[in-house]
Amino acid sequence: MFTPAPWRLITDTALWSENWPGIPRPASGEIKTRYTHCALCPAGCAVRARLVGSQPVALMGVPAHPLSLGALCPFGLTGHQLPYHPERLKQGPEHEASAAVAGAIAQCAPGERIAVLDLRPGRTASWTYRRAMAAVKNGVYLTAPQPLEGAAVNLAAARTVLSIGAPVMEGWGTPGNVLAARAGFRLIQAEPLESRTASLADLWLRIKPGSGRALALSLIAQLEGKAMPAQAAAETGLGESQIADLAGELARNGPALVLAGDDVPEAVPLNRLTGAWGKALMARAEAPVPDSWKKAAPPAGLASVPDGSIRALLIDESVPGDYIPWNAIAPKLVPGNPVVVVFAWSRSGYGRHAQFTLPAAVYPEMTGDAPAAIDSPAAAFRIFTPLVPAPSGMVDPAVFIASAAGIDASGALRERADAIHKAGRGTLFTCADVKSRPVKELKPEDFWKALNEGGCWMDAGWQAKPPAPLVEGTRWQAKAPASQEASELPLLVALTDLPGSAGLVSPLMSKLYQESNLRLGRNRAALNPASAAACGVGEGAHAMLQTVLGQRPIQVTVSPSVPPGMVEVGASPEILDICGAFSRARVAQS
Amino acid sequence: MRIPGYLFFLGGTLAALGAGWAGFPHVIYQSRPQPVDFSHKVHAEKAGAKCEDCHAFRDDGTFAGVPTLDKCSGCHAAPMGTTQAEKNFIDGYVTPNREPQWSVYARQPENVYFSHITHVKLGGLKCEACHGDEGATDKLRPYQQDRISGYSRDIWGTAAAKGMKMDDCVDCHRKHGFEHSCLDCHK
Repeated sequence: MFTPAPWRLITDTALWSENWPGIPRPASGEIKTRYTHCALCPAGCAVRARLVGSQPVALMGVPAHPLSLGALCPFGLTGHQLPYHPERLKQGPEHEASAAVAGAIAQCAPGERIAVLDLRPGRTASWTYRRAMAAVKNGVYLTAPQPLEGAAVNLAAARTVLSIGAPVMEGWGTPGNVLAARAGFRLIQAEPLESRTASLADLWLRIKPGSGRALALSLIAQLEGKAMPAQAAAETGLGESQIADLAGELARNGPALVLAGDDVPEAVPLNRLTGAWGKALMARAEAPVPDSWKKAAPPAGLASVPDGSIRALLIDESVPGDYIPWNAIAPKLVPGNPVVVVFAWSRSGYGRHAQFTLPAAVYPEMTGDAPAAIDSPAAAFRIFTPLVPAPSGMVDPAVFIASAAGIDASGALRERADAIHKAGRGTLFTCADVKSRPVKELKPEDFWKALNEGGCWMDAGWQAKPPAPLVEGTRWQAKAPASQEASELPLLVALTDLPGSAGLVSPLMSKLYQESNLRLGRNRAALNPASAAACGVGEGAHAMLQTVLGQRPIQVTVSPSVPPGMVEVGASPEILDICGAFSRARVAQS
Repeated sequence: MRIPGYLFFLGGTLAALGAGWAGFPHVIYQSRPQPVDFSHKVHAEKAGAKCEDCHAFRDDGTFAGVPTLDKCSGCHAAPMGTTQAEKNFIDGYVTPNREPQWSVYARQPENVYFSHITHVKLGGLKCEACHGDEGATDKLRPYQQDRISGYSRDIWGTAAAKGMKMDDCVDCHRKHGFEHSCLDCHK
């Protein structure tokens, strides 16, 4: 008691407990800065990483970056935690998958197809898939449907933006660009729930779930001076005068841009009528590619492939993208024993349905590139430079598919960079010195080096060309539910976007957002108190969400912000597999 | 002759106090020598080196800490003098290009953020204020490490230097009116 010994022992024991096995230890070493681009969504924001030794410890935006303008969303800020995600795949049957694909290619009958499904087209890896499918007999390159038929948007040119369910203020486009342009346009949000975008809009129109097309058709009729389609206004839940006023505002305060998901194809013709066509909406520009790549297979939609025709399907789910419900894909596979190979970070997406799920590197381990985002009228090219090496056992989808097709794609990124340099157009922005230089002034080696150090190429002198005409079959059609009787399935499903197709969110973010209920988790559903009482469930109850396509276990959140008669669910792959765009459902105690 | 009981008590108390005050520090710390027999004094007096010549700040303001072998090799590419220590350093580290594994006396635990440039450049503190007369010593002390916590003995303070415990930091900050928040150091 009267010596330092017992007190020191108490202190030392406390300090010793900080060093027990399993307790994370911060990295130590020299503090360095590196630049890369975020791969978590198509925006591809510039990232400044703070590294201690070789360990990234903090990610932040690059303020002077001409595309992302310094912004980084909460998911991007925590991207360096993704390699430690508990659901991450560590190994997979690569050799068996390779043999199965080779067998399927060899045995592919004339009416059958070998297909690659690319959830994020426009990348250099996408070109590799297209080249591979051109090299394979009966190869077909499939893409997920793109909002606005793949057109690009110039928000700075819009005076009014009507968003039919598009999450404009919560992950749509490039966050920094959207925030910078926001002061210049009036935002009208039409969607069933008061989302964050709805709450940040100048006007929120509460429409009924699944009535986006009806609203678009009503607006088209109004703008063309025709009579409003019968029942269309009633279907939206808005009054005819409200729709007429909205059409009037779009006509008066133009260019008025209409944004919508791929479930509202009428958004493109609507943009013609509002004057946005060619001004605020235009064809998406793409960075130059080597001439030898141009013999690649063209992009095709899933609907253009006959049912029962895909012998082998390879799905690149390594980068988060739009999830196509499995019930739209499964009928396209040959009956019997189709080969389905998925490249993914976890088994929670298509891996649940595939024979072979191969582990893919996650951001910030992966190497790849980001094409121009939806809100970038000019072509762009940025590289995801890995901040940490990928663990052994990871499979690069582009290398795997190129190898299966017998083509060499090992230097594809470099070839693309050389093609851009050869074109001699545009400027290169470098993050470290915050300078833009004309590409013409750079040597190919310097251009490549700068790209790998976080540089961003942007095309110069872009022209507002009208979007290309619609490609037939680019829209998937979910299998129509057999019957959706309101008496059996009393609730309308409202899907809330989740970041990434398969919930690729930092485990820390998942905890903060989902356990605190700030954002619906993958297996949570929100109900109005009256609806919850009618279903016999309460806050936190474990229940089943039933639709005509199946059922999923959920945990209930009771929220007065959800209108009666609706159930709000996070659009995770598991939920999307049982809920179409306009599903009805019921919630029952499990 | 019967020994009075209080003498047993007194003896036991003295033994316990001796063990606690004198014996305990010998038991709780393990010592290990530094890899190189380095003299701050020789470098300061003969080479005219100042602290920041070797313990430099990087361009971005971060503190480089103990210099790496590159820095030493700038002068010691060939032996400078004929001492055994110099020979050992050249043969053991410079020639095979092997980085000496220095034990850092003042290494703070992982949960502490400490900015040298804030204290030295902005606060005008001398190196000696925390590190004592280390820069004038002719020989590096053995590194003493707490067997249980793994901390350096210098954190607790030695005869040569004041400690670098949180209380020591707080005392100094309080004295200079820079008592802001926990997050200054525990980020």
